[in-house]
Amino acid sequence: MKKIMTLIKVSLNHDMNIFRINTKKQSKLKKILLPLLLVAYLMFLMGIYSYKLMEMLVPLHLEFAVLTFFGIAVSFITLLEGIYKSGSLLFNSKDDNLLFSLPIKKRTILFIKVFKFYVFELLYNSLFLAPAMIVYAYFVNPSWTYYLSSVVALLLLPIVPIVLSVIIGFITTYLSSKVKGKSVFQTLISLGFVFLVMYISFNSDGFVSNIAAKAASYNEMITKIYYPLGAYITLVTDFNVITLLIYILSHIALYILVLLLLSTLYFRINSSIKGVLVNHKNKAYHIKSTSKLKAFIKKELNRFFTTPVFMVNAGFGLILFVLASIMAAVRFDALIKIVLENDPTFDLEKIRPAFSIIAFGLVAFTSFMTSITSSMISLEGSSFNLLKSLPIKPIKIVMYKVISALAIMLPCILLGDILLFVKFRLDIISIILILIASFILPFLSELIGIMINLKYPKMDASTDTEAVKQSMSSLVSTFSGMGILGMSALVFYLIARTGTNTNIILTLFLLFYGIITILLYALLNKKCDKMFNNIIV
Amino acid sequence: MIEIKNVTKKYGDKVALNDVSFTVPDGEIFAFIGHNGAGKTTLIKAIVGIHDFDNGEILINGKSIKENPVSCKSEIAFVPDNPELYENMKAIDFIDFICDMYEVSAEVRDKNIKRYAKLFEIENNLNDPISSMSHGMKQKIALISALAHDPKVLIMDEPFVGLDPKAVFDVKEVMNEMVKEGKIIFFSTHILDVAEKLCSKVAIIKNGKLVKTGSMKAIKGDKSLEKVFLELEG
Repeated sequence: MKKIMTLIKVSLNHDMNIFRINTKKQSKLKKILLPLLLVAYLMFLMGIYSYKLMEMLVPLHLEFAVLTFFGIAVSFITLLEGIYKSGSLLFNSKDDNLLFSLPIKKRTILFIKVFKFYVFELLYNSLFLAPAMIVYAYFVNPSWTYYLSSVVALLLLPIVPIVLSVIIGFITTYLSSKVKGKSVFQTLISLGFVFLVMYISFNSDGFVSNIAAKAASYNEMITKIYYPLGAYITLVTDFNVITLLIYILSHIALYILVLLLLSTLYFRINSSIKGVLVNHKNKAYHIKSTSKLKAFIKKELNRFFTTPVFMVNAGFGLILFVLASIMAAVRFDALIKIVLENDPTFDLEKIRPAFSIIAFGLVAFTSFMTSITSSMISLEGSSFNLLKSLPIKPIKIVMYKVISALAIMLPCILLGDILLFVKFRLDIISIILILIASFILPFLSELIGIMINLKYPKMDASTDTEAVKQSMSSLVSTFSGMGILGMSALVFYLIARTGTNTNIILTLFLLFYGIITILLYALLNKKCDKMFNNIIV
Repeated sequence: MIEIKNVTKKYGDKVALNDVSFTVPDGEIFAFIGHNGAGKTTLIKAIVGIHDFDNGEILINGKSIKENPVSCKSEIAFVPDNPELYENMKAIDFIDFICDMYEVSAEVRDKNIKRYAKLFEIENNLNDPISSMSHGMKQKIALISALAHDPKVLIMDEPFVGLDPKAVFDVKEVMNEMVKEGKIIFFSTHILDVAEKLCSKVAIIKNGKLVKTGSMKAIKGDKSLEKVFLELEG
């Protein structure tokens, strides 16, 4: 037990310390000020949403539905994220050789890795769930049992999604270890699982209706659909020590049982994934010279397409954008037909300006929620010294990375644009504005991403997942994207209320984003050398 | 010529390099020796522009690494102690990438890559992913990519670690050829026998301070370099 505790302590200290930043000459307060502000902002935003939701639920006496809503949301996000993170977190860590050489059981290593995964998700979930719990307490003024149940739920809710994603991580890693292009294969399977989960979730109306019809109460219904949440709601509305004990023990038992079962395969899969299939028959090599920019883009694309977590993290939003565009294109006529059947006086032309807003919104959402560059510096790891030794100015290296990210993003965004343009039959001015947005917004987003990563690099990540998903840079970047989108939506709403023409609003937004882009580029140009050289590996 | 003038580097309160000054002339193989943690890698990283330093100046062929980093780096090739390569790339793609960064012409890179790949007996592995290679093979890839752009200054940190005896011999041969062409070889090593036989000049560093520098003959006199080093270490 002492060994396990020591290992957990050391591992958490090394991997989970997202406040460790490899830069010098910065005060600790300065380093954590922005992330703390963003966390506070996000929690405040979640608190506002919960409060607004609560105001609607109080007259219906369904106060606990706010807990259900946020509980489902965090469990769903944990599962989706876990599916593509678990493979990389559990297998192929840099510390595997050290850990497997230690006189400890292999299942202990698996336990520690899953525990680290759990701790991170717990922290992440708390940002979303804790404000809802506080708002509930503010409105209902519950007894101490509510606080006890909520703390227990906060600790237990990540377990089921994590266990499921660990199982899926085992399956994807095992299958991909059998093929040559393991990274691409692993990415495809992970994406397949993610979309399968989404498909099942969005097509479970019949299942939910069936349960709802048979359930005697709201609690029973939620419990039957998703026990971890249903049990929590039961504890909130009707606290019972036995229910609490069953709730805790069932989760711990599930966690231990699954890990014990998987631990028998863990070492075998971990060993098989380490090998690299080399085609020794093909010994002929070709020397190709190209420009610095092309060589750099090739290198970055190579990194992208050989790092599953990187690919899924960035690719998810982009694929979703293309899928949304396809769905809009395919379903658009059918939707209009349904509307016309219900309301024969409906005039499509009257709402056509709204389509340009939808297209613009989709481009903005995809751009700001896809930050490829926010982990590009961290992913260099010890190879960063190689970059530093090259005869190229830091600003060029940084801009090469931004351009490489755009090479990944732009084809997807432009493909989505074309589908939307064709189906929505937008006017030429809207098309031009959205096309401009399709270049400016991804550029701005990637510029912000690289600046954040220069400020908060994680050069000693044990796994690619830590660099891509569990670093200060990725958190700040995600929250910044959310912040920009939230602000933009609010400003849009305020301007739109004045009855201003849609295209004028879009032009104003583009001008604003354009100016911000120019200012940020100027700032990067000025600070890049210092920030780049301050990163110590 | 590499001129190191009063270089000081601190990590917090710890002085890693304390007012270090010496010169590495053209056409010399210069050994840089010292115990673990003496400051060898810190100085090497400062010379190649990876780490900044607090005081002093480092000039590469008359140009300051602080003032003209790009120009200085274009004349230098650096081989680190632990080859820092892009593991997800094929070996040939990595070498090509480095050559592209140094703007090496197709003709020169073709000639150099073929020559050094043959010398290090790694021709048949250039199409392999770097992640499948052993430490020694990675070291050879790092050496080929360093040599492929015909550097005027070759700086290496423990270049012989992990190499097989044949490769060690070949590297020494390449070093001798390069100095005949007037180029500079500056490397750190713990293998004092090699340094003694190969190098014309030597610098010994202890706890961040330079304790001896000069020609190999003058420093060791009638003794072996190992003996001199151990005496200095106390």
